[in-house]
Amino acid sequence: MNKLRNPFGPTCTNLAPLYQSGDRPTAAENMDRLPVEPTTGHPLAPREQPGYYPGYRTLAQQAYWDEATRTVVLDRVNHVPPLRFFSEAEVRVMQAVVDRILPQDDRIPTKRIPILNTIDKRLAEDIQDGYRFEGMPKDQEVFRLGIQGIEAIAQKLYQRSFAALTVLEQDRVLETLHDGNPPAGEEYWKQMSVIHFWQLLVQDCIEGYYAHPYAWDEIGFGGPAYPRGYMRLERGDPEPWEQGEQRYAWAPPPGALSGRFAPLGVEAGGKTPTPGQEGTH
Amino acid sequence: MAVTADEYPLRLLRRVLPDWLTREGALIDQDIREGKFQRSLAVIAAISSVFSGWEVTSEHYRGSYSQRIMYSPLVLSGALAVAGLGGAVNRKLARTVMPLVSLVTMLDGVIGFFFHIRGIKRKPGGWRIPIFNIVMGPPLFAPLLFALSGYLGVIASLLRREDAPTNPLPAMLTRDRHPGWLDFLPAPLAKSGRAFEHQAREGMLQRHLAAATAISAFLSCAEALYSHYRNNFRYWYEWTPIALGPLLMAGGFGAVASRRVARTLLPIASLLAMLDGAAGSFFHVRGVLRRPGGLTMPVYNWVYGPPIFAPLLFAASGFLGLLASLLRRSQS
Amino acid sequence: MNTPLLGPFGLAHTAEHSLGPIQQVNLAAMRRYGNTDEVDFAIVGVGAAGGVLAQRLSRAGFRVVAFDAGPFWDVERDWVSDEAGSHKLYWNEPRITGGPDPIALGSNNSGHGVGGGTVHWAAFVPRFHPSDFREYSDDGVGVDWPISYEEIKPYYALLEKEMPVAGPLNFPWGDPHGYPYGPHPSGGVADILVRGCTKLGIRAVAGGPVAITSGSHADRPHCIYRGFCIQGCKVGAKQSTLYSHVPDAIHHGAEIRANCMVARIDVGKDPDNGGPIVTGVTYFDGDGHERQQRAKVVIVSGYAIETPRLLLNSACPGFEQGLANSSDTVGRYLMVQAGNVILGRFAEPVRMYKAPPANGLTEEFYETDRKRDFARGFAIQTVGPLPISFAKQMMVAKGAWGWGLRQVMMDYNHWAAFGLLGELLPWADNRVTLAEEKDRHGLPVAKVTYSLKDNDKKLIDFGAKKTMEVMWAAGAEEVVQEPRYAHLIGGARMGNDPRTSVVDSFGRSHDVPNLFCCDGSILPTQGSANPGLTIQAIAARTADYLISEREGVMRRRPRPGVVGAVPLRRDLSPAGTSGRGVPRNKG
Repeated sequence: MNKLRNPFGPTCTNLAPLYQSGDRPTAAENMDRLPVEPTTGHPLAPREQPGYYPGYRTLAQQAYWDEATRTVVLDRVNHVPPLRFFSEAEVRVMQAVVDRILPQDDRIPTKRIPILNTIDKRLAEDIQDGYRFEGMPKDQEVFRLGIQGIEAIAQKLYQRSFAALTVLEQDRVLETLHDGNPPAGEEYWKQMSVIHFWQLLVQDCIEGYYAHPYAWDEIGFGGPAYPRGYMRLERGDPEPWEQGEQRYAWAPPPGALSGRFAPLGVEAGGKTPTPGQEGTH
Repeated sequence: MAVTADEYPLRLLRRVLPDWLTREGALIDQDIREGKFQRSLAVIAAISSVFSGWEVTSEHYRGSYSQRIMYSPLVLSGALAVAGLGGAVNRKLARTVMPLVSLVTMLDGVIGFFFHIRGIKRKPGGWRIPIFNIVMGPPLFAPLLFALSGYLGVIASLLRREDAPTNPLPAMLTRDRHPGWLDFLPAPLAKSGRAFEHQAREGMLQRHLAAATAISAFLSCAEALYSHYRNNFRYWYEWTPIALGPLLMAGGFGAVASRRVARTLLPIASLLAMLDGAAGSFFHVRGVLRRPGGLTMPVYNWVYGPPIFAPLLFAASGFLGLLASLLRRSQS
Repeated sequence: MNTPLLGPFGLAHTAEHSLGPIQQVNLAAMRRYGNTDEVDFAIVGVGAAGGVLAQRLSRAGFRVVAFDAGPFWDVERDWVSDEAGSHKLYWNEPRITGGPDPIALGSNNSGHGVGGGTVHWAAFVPRFHPSDFREYSDDGVGVDWPISYEEIKPYYALLEKEMPVAGPLNFPWGDPHGYPYGPHPSGGVADILVRGCTKLGIRAVAGGPVAITSGSHADRPHCIYRGFCIQGCKVGAKQSTLYSHVPDAIHHGAEIRANCMVARIDVGKDPDNGGPIVTGVTYFDGDGHERQQRAKVVIVSGYAIETPRLLLNSACPGFEQGLANSSDTVGRYLMVQAGNVILGRFAEPVRMYKAPPANGLTEEFYETDRKRDFARGFAIQTVGPLPISFAKQMMVAKGAWGWGLRQVMMDYNHWAAFGLLGELLPWADNRVTLAEEKDRHGLPVAKVTYSLKDNDKKLIDFGAKKTMEVMWAAGAEEVVQEPRYAHLIGGARMGNDPRTSVVDSFGRSHDVPNLFCCDGSILPTQGSANPGLTIQAIAARTADYLISEREGVMRRRPRPGVVGAVPLRRDLSPAGTSGRGVPRNKG
């Protein structure tokens, strides 16, 4: 389906695996990538649709959407924009970054959501949110600087390029941004705020992932709702065409640093994170 | 005298119940069979008009009375309540004001039905998503249910009163028959109307009322269906009116064709519907009290909780069915 | 069944310009004025205030041209029921934000296009309280308004009818009153708010007050509870001046010029006395050509960032620090409200994406409580973030990313969200200025500087804690918070003293007799109420003032603070307003 995908693909294969599978569990590459069943610790095989709503498909309701919405959503699913903004080297880094910020190892390859392409499109067309924090360059520049900063941290910590690190090492690099405490790349970070860069990065990944119907299916969201609205408003009851929840226990890959919920910018020196962007009021 | 299978249930009842109750029951039965229950039916029409008026008040409040005509059933239900009580106490009112108000109520219900059809059409998606817009739009059959209390008032206006003489002379010769609204209709209508009235006054209304029972059961069962469907049938007993509705419809329509059904299935289904309706109202009241905020938000929870009198309107179809089973059949 | 009857839905109708599934407008028949015609009113910005002004003034017979930088939306074709596809509704031209506690602008903060912010607002419409108008006299903070609640109250009642506003039978706070349309059903979040408040013995209301139809309203259907309010109401149920007032304005001869960015207000000399007057506006049309429009009166309704920006960009000889800025108040006293989002996770599902996000609130903590260590107060409201918004909130509230984010998002249906709405005070150094940077038209962009002061921080802290308390009381298993701001107010505030304000209580600038500002920028304080209703009410009042002044608008100035100085016009409401609704207490 995704003919125009990033040629490197989310399962970036130029990672040299450090251990063969069958070694100590904490070291196997699979163990670092796949979520696990919490009581036994066994990795869970990738599936077509993770989440607690197996078999639920918002796209099955598309005839009930209005035409304008259907066009936009189907375009998003069927036409993955080509990469135009990032250079080849930047793509290598960014794809690995995106794979850690919104990991999709629990999805089979054909059901993965192309995130990098949406970020690339936004930057290529210079679509902005309408404002910039003082002291931040424009988004295009922010990404260019940020990628170099990430590479600098990877080199400092592990003496390798970010794309060549193991999953856990990549998490560690990104975590320093999340904490607002990057150990390297000062010449890049002084041109912008680390926390703002991190937020921009994560928000772009979120927008790429959770705008996609596959993600709606994963979380049990109803999707577009016009002209047919909702009839069951209370107690979280599902609509006749929605699905009830079928929970299963799972935990992030053991040791995955992104599985913790550490406060944003905790190392940045006591400053509360900047008030959020997207509106609700 | 051999006891026919039809009469067996009644005989059983007579054995089981105390004497004074069966004597009363027999008298009432006699009155009904002779068409002498105008006053009671007028009171019942008034009560049912209060219930449906209460329901329409809260339902139209949910629609914010966005058109002035939505006030009409509110006004008419009050008028019919008064007219019904008036008809119960005064025989002249029973043949003039009560049928007039009742007819206007029925007309208002039919008009409302067409407004609701139009309202569903004007919702996004309109009739192309019929289930969704019937559930979320103006309740389709509710106006016809509202018309039902008007129907009761019309029938009541045709009957004789409880204190009428036991062996009536032909209707034209008794002083009990005052001029009524039928006289103002064009001749052919008036003629068949008067023939119907004659049957009513004789209590020979069984088939007519059985049909009305079936229709009313359909209407209120449909209302229960889309309301409970919206609630996702959270409680298993929300299915009971859905099961009993068709049963009562079968009893009603069956009783039109068969005397036997009229004395077996119809009364049984009717009794079940009445019990179910009473239970339903109890559950609905409980549902209102259980809503967030409970009695601290009385108006909001009355409006958005389960409608407390709607199950009683289902019970009213059961009541109609019971009444029908006690009446006599017309000759044809 | 996989499709609706008769196949998949297309467009609701093939009308040229749709404003909903039934409503449409005939733009071809819209009156058009020439650039050299001197129209009576040039209105900059067709948002909450601009839409009401254009409608009322044109219905009264004036010649009105209203400009908006964004498009004239065709609702069926342009809007989508999709979060990521709705960015075009927000102001996306560049702005800079800074200061110690910078405000995140864009995205639901300012609108773009006819209808402005009313396209993407959540449509909560509580009134301000009487105390909001005199908080300096009462509590020693902020500033007193040049008008009292009583002067604006009839306009509250009027707009509540025109929008219309759906709400509870009795709204008990401030000046208690009822609403012309009945309340809405509750969704999961409103139920949780009511449960939590009931448990703590706090009063709450459900189902409103919101400017969302709870019953059909002419060609606007009843809300269908789809939860996409912030992405533009395709149903036409949630009020936007785009379909509540603008069609009536066009019908009465107003011209709406969309895709026209007003660059500058043109200033000239009054031939009679040599004083400064405005003569019209200079703008860039849809093709980027610079044009001018002559007008007798200019009303700026660009909201709290663009209005001061336009005044500053209109600096000219005699007004070197900005047009109408002899007081140096233009751009100052900018305010946002505390808008922290408190999120709670529940064992049972909630599905907060259904029902309008604006579904219930409590104003129990609105007024100053002397026992607390800060002045003024806050409200607690329901919100209903869709997946992308929610994920971004989790990024901050729980520091979520990676697998943690994936995991918490799979629980999306178990979360509910409340919005704190707290009154932050006006401070002179919170302001809009011009940056060095220029936008694509060559105009200096706005720079917003913001910081929180002591009272603000204490209020936010207390309010967030209290809101979390309600969430816990409702039975949440986990409660987190995302610091945030909401709304925008100020930048060209009204006042009686020309040295400390830009405009008077009718929006007329002190410096230039035929220049008006009428939008959220003229509010001197903001209470803990969403500003939309107050903005539209003030616009209607300003319109009635202008109508009563007629030809003398350039000459006469009424005495401020006189109740009844402006007769309320009851005959100027848009078509289809009357003949609807329930009897109510207007307060």
